[in-house]
Amino acid sequence: MYRGILMRLSQAVPVLLIFAVMVFMLMHLLPGDPALAIAGPEASAEAVEVIREQLGLNRPILVQLLEWFSHLAVGNFGESLMLKQSVVSAVVERLPVTLSLSLVSLVITLPAGILLGVVAAYWRSSWIDASVMVVALLGVSLPGFWVGLLSVLFFSVHLGWFPPSGYAPLDETGLVAWLASLIQPAVVLALFQIGFLARITRSAMLDVLDQDFIRTARAKGVDEWTTLAKHAFRNTLIPVVTVLGITLSLLIGGSVVIEQVFALPGIGRLIVQGIMNRDYPLVQGTMLLFGFAFVVINILVDIIYTLVDPRVRYG
Amino acid sequence: MAGWLERAGLTVALAAMLAQPALGAAGGKAGDPARGGAITYAAAGGPGALDPHVAGSLVALEVIHHVFETLVAMDESYNARPMLAATVQVGDAARRFRFTLRPGLRFSTGATLTSADVLASFERYARVSTNVALLEDVVGYDVPDARTFVVRLASSNAMFLDMLKSPTYPLAIVPADQQERPGREVDVVGTGPFMLESWDKDSHLVLRRNPDYVADRSAAGPDGLAGRKTAYLDTVRYDFVAEPAARLAALQGGTADAVANLPPDFASRLGGRDDLATLRVFPYCQLLFVTHAGNGLTAQRLIRQAIQAAVNVDDIIAASGQPARRNASLVYPGSPYHTGDGAEAFYDRRNLDEARALLRQAGYKGEKLILQTNATYSYMRDAILVLAGQLREAGMNTEVQVVDWLTNLTSLRRGTGNWNVTSAGFCTQPLMGPQQWRAQIYADPHIRDLAGLDDAYRRLLASPEFAPRQAAWRRIETLVLGEAYFIKVADLGAVRAYNTRLHGMAPYFFQRFWNTWVN
Amino acid sequence: MGEAVLLASGEAIAARRRFRVLRKLLHHRSFMIGFIVVAVMVVAALAAPLTGIDPDGMRFRARFRPPQGAFLFGTDQFGRDLLTRTLYGAQLSLWIGLSVAVLSGVFGAAIGVLSAQYRQLDSPLMRVMDALMAAPAILLAIGLGAALGPQTHSVIIALAVAYIPRTARIVRSSALVTRELEFIEAAQVSGASSVRIMFRHLLPNAAGPLLVQSTFVFAYAILAEAALSFLGIGPPPPAPSWGNIIAEGRSYAVQAWWIMLFPGFAISLAALGMNLLGDGLRDVLDPRLKVES
Repeated sequence: MYRGILMRLSQAVPVLLIFAVMVFMLMHLLPGDPALAIAGPEASAEAVEVIREQLGLNRPILVQLLEWFSHLAVGNFGESLMLKQSVVSAVVERLPVTLSLSLVSLVITLPAGILLGVVAAYWRSSWIDASVMVVALLGVSLPGFWVGLLSVLFFSVHLGWFPPSGYAPLDETGLVAWLASLIQPAVVLALFQIGFLARITRSAMLDVLDQDFIRTARAKGVDEWTTLAKHAFRNTLIPVVTVLGITLSLLIGGSVVIEQVFALPGIGRLIVQGIMNRDYPLVQGTMLLFGFAFVVINILVDIIYTLVDPRVRYG
Repeated sequence: MAGWLERAGLTVALAAMLAQPALGAAGGKAGDPARGGAITYAAAGGPGALDPHVAGSLVALEVIHHVFETLVAMDESYNARPMLAATVQVGDAARRFRFTLRPGLRFSTGATLTSADVLASFERYARVSTNVALLEDVVGYDVPDARTFVVRLASSNAMFLDMLKSPTYPLAIVPADQQERPGREVDVVGTGPFMLESWDKDSHLVLRRNPDYVADRSAAGPDGLAGRKTAYLDTVRYDFVAEPAARLAALQGGTADAVANLPPDFASRLGGRDDLATLRVFPYCQLLFVTHAGNGLTAQRLIRQAIQAAVNVDDIIAASGQPARRNASLVYPGSPYHTGDGAEAFYDRRNLDEARALLRQAGYKGEKLILQTNATYSYMRDAILVLAGQLREAGMNTEVQVVDWLTNLTSLRRGTGNWNVTSAGFCTQPLMGPQQWRAQIYADPHIRDLAGLDDAYRRLLASPEFAPRQAAWRRIETLVLGEAYFIKVADLGAVRAYNTRLHGMAPYFFQRFWNTWVN
Repeated sequence: MGEAVLLASGEAIAARRRFRVLRKLLHHRSFMIGFIVVAVMVVAALAAPLTGIDPDGMRFRARFRPPQGAFLFGTDQFGRDLLTRTLYGAQLSLWIGLSVAVLSGVFGAAIGVLSAQYRQLDSPLMRVMDALMAAPAILLAIGLGAALGPQTHSVIIALAVAYIPRTARIVRSSALVTRELEFIEAAQVSGASSVRIMFRHLLPNAAGPLLVQSTFVFAYAILAEAALSFLGIGPPPPAPSWGNIIAEGRSYAVQAWWIMLFPGFAISLAALGMNLLGDGLRDVLDPRLKVES
């Protein structure tokens, strides 16, 4: 197994290298000048030129790429052009927001998704199954940003129940404010994941229900639900691990738009603003950090698979 | 008329612009201002850096003007008025400017401000500022004593003080030990009524009342960014909230006491609440169409004029959803440079027949005309969409390109990309007056070579008398609008809102929190 | 000779199989519901010109009409009829969804089959796919869309590139299984070219999973186009893509909520239809997952 992990890690090196070059090229392909973003719309052409020179943007693209790699080689992820802050510290500062959002949405997703999946499987082919599956399908079919916008209009602007945006840090504002600031975006994110998890859980449970011990339990009239719950637990572990893995890799992906809608100062917002401002080092560094995290998470998920499901061998 | 300008050797007609009296604190019905209290302001975004010398973004400047001060600043009517300077003597045919500092000035660290700090700030500005052009004509500085600072210019510049009042890239006075700091890395220490207490980039910052603030006691009250400013509030917290809906809800939910610009659509919801009030700021920005005279179809003057002839301003204003006023000129009504009737000939032509005639004359054969705009500022996008409809009606084949803000800005400033017309919003240039349009006009590479423009700008800056300067500006405006490089659409306003527990809120370009208080 | 006989019988089997699949699909509840939903959307899209209104036509005297009477979905800040725009929006959004599904299907299939057939290509191709997948699809699309410029085809290319790696992986794993089967070895021994093996065997056997995946990509693409438009990187206005209508109506969300409402429903319905369709296809075509009893 250790050899397997090592092999996966060694495969990750070329992947990350290609990824880094791709992100670099894509960023530098974007029209628009970061020096203008820094100088402001009213700066003179000369002033913008001065900034370009200072930032080294006038050098050949290949030189800039090599310089970036030489910095990366010594563990230097660079400094953001706009924030004047090291990329790592910019990411670390925003990580709690994105992690909190993922955590709250996961806490909503797990019970809801598993319950829906089990219920649908148990009463399969009935109207209960059909309606649960429609709900699950709706979860993956609704545009998150639209649900978010409507939610802000209704719950925040109209009813005034929740703050419409912004993040209340747990250590500064307390649990209630923290939760209130996250509940809307977390539910919107959870909608998608619940749909996803419910569908996976349902098909995993259908396997179990066909198996002999359930039939035996039914025949004997012993507490069917206890048996079911036991097996449900075991058999939903794999979908849960899958969803965990997806959630973690959605850390940036899924929250990019939602953080934008709810003005949450997290990683997704950081990257989108970085792209909009052509903050090359920020976007490149952050994407690379998360590309790396993505690779590691995938390996971890595979390892966990082998632990929860003895049928899966690590290769 | 303010008495600060001593006419040593030269009458500076600039004084004519100072005629408007200072507005006192408007608003609050409730009693006398009292010290204390903390408020939260939902700003439209957060600053990247708080270095006045390189600050061009409005969200950064809104904070900076609470913390830093300049020698000369904008007053309530956006004209120049001394702030850290007590007096300014203009001499040697507007080549020599002698600033005498107010006595007893201190930084928020408690250190005394002297002319050495002023010198260091000017020198740093010349080195790092985005607006170095301001000082490019300087031949030298003199520091005869701790309260006197002299700037010597190579050539006459009657508008130097108007340039020095610039609220963008403000030439704020920072402690002398900051001189060597690179751009965007200055310590946030100024002489303003507030000081920076904490700053969580991307989330919020907190300003605290500066206990060492030395107010300008020669003034009766606050006057624009200058005058006698008093900080009553203990702290002002700026929350960075990009979504307007979120700002509105923050105000309604009580988590914010004041909010930055709201779309009028949202402001309309405040009607039912008597504890909430709106603040209408006018003028705020100017909306223009800029044609690309260096690219394809719009390189032809006739095509540009055909576009100008097809514009129907009222429809564009209606669709922009912004509070807007008609104004043909590039300066605001009320400015001595305003040339209403002169610019009227190029404004709101809504003459489709003439547009078609011009197109025929230009030999237009249905080639594609590309209109560029951005999605960040929805009023710009909506204005371009309406323009596209009007041009189609006039027989033009249009294509709309919506790009992100920075691409749009780069297109406009560099003339890059394939486009013919773009929407543009100008905010501080028209506020500050004709001299400020220069950088803008010259920044558009395709306008630079316009015959007569250089000469007119030279006369604008060098003429000691007001009349020839006004004439020079008329000439500039006629050239730029007549060639349809710029097509003026409207003056735009802004709507902010606040909780009425906050008193002393007065409309101004920058949201100010001095001379505001809570009960 | 021997090969020809084998092929003839193979084709007959394939034809029978296709018929069986079709019958299963026709009896599959969610497939049929999805099919009807999508069919209705396609018909609505094609019927758009029947309203007789120019989707980009501005009428400033009819701004912000709420949904009633002559304006079933209301009008926007330009006085444009939102029913007409939503219908034309169906054309554009479905076109984007279809193009993305087809493009990512074609390129994903090509990459997947190539890396299964040529082992020396496998590693480099898959590393590139892994690299593409290391970035969340939406971020990749944002970057590509902004780099390619504001055209509808930029959005299509950006989204297609974002979804190619997943499709390629699915096709590759199916093709790898097929390659292990004995009849491929037989074909190789009998001298069939690599091209023939890929087109005759690997690709047809991956068709089921490929079709299922493409259906889901269709649904994702409709959702992603809307999100991109929301972020300002969608098809250029005045083109009435659903995402654009929402993005343009956003500044008037309080006063004129209807601008945002109907295109959002349309997006949800289209994505729901495609997802139902995909579910049905998967039940029938992909034996690895349980079929509804």
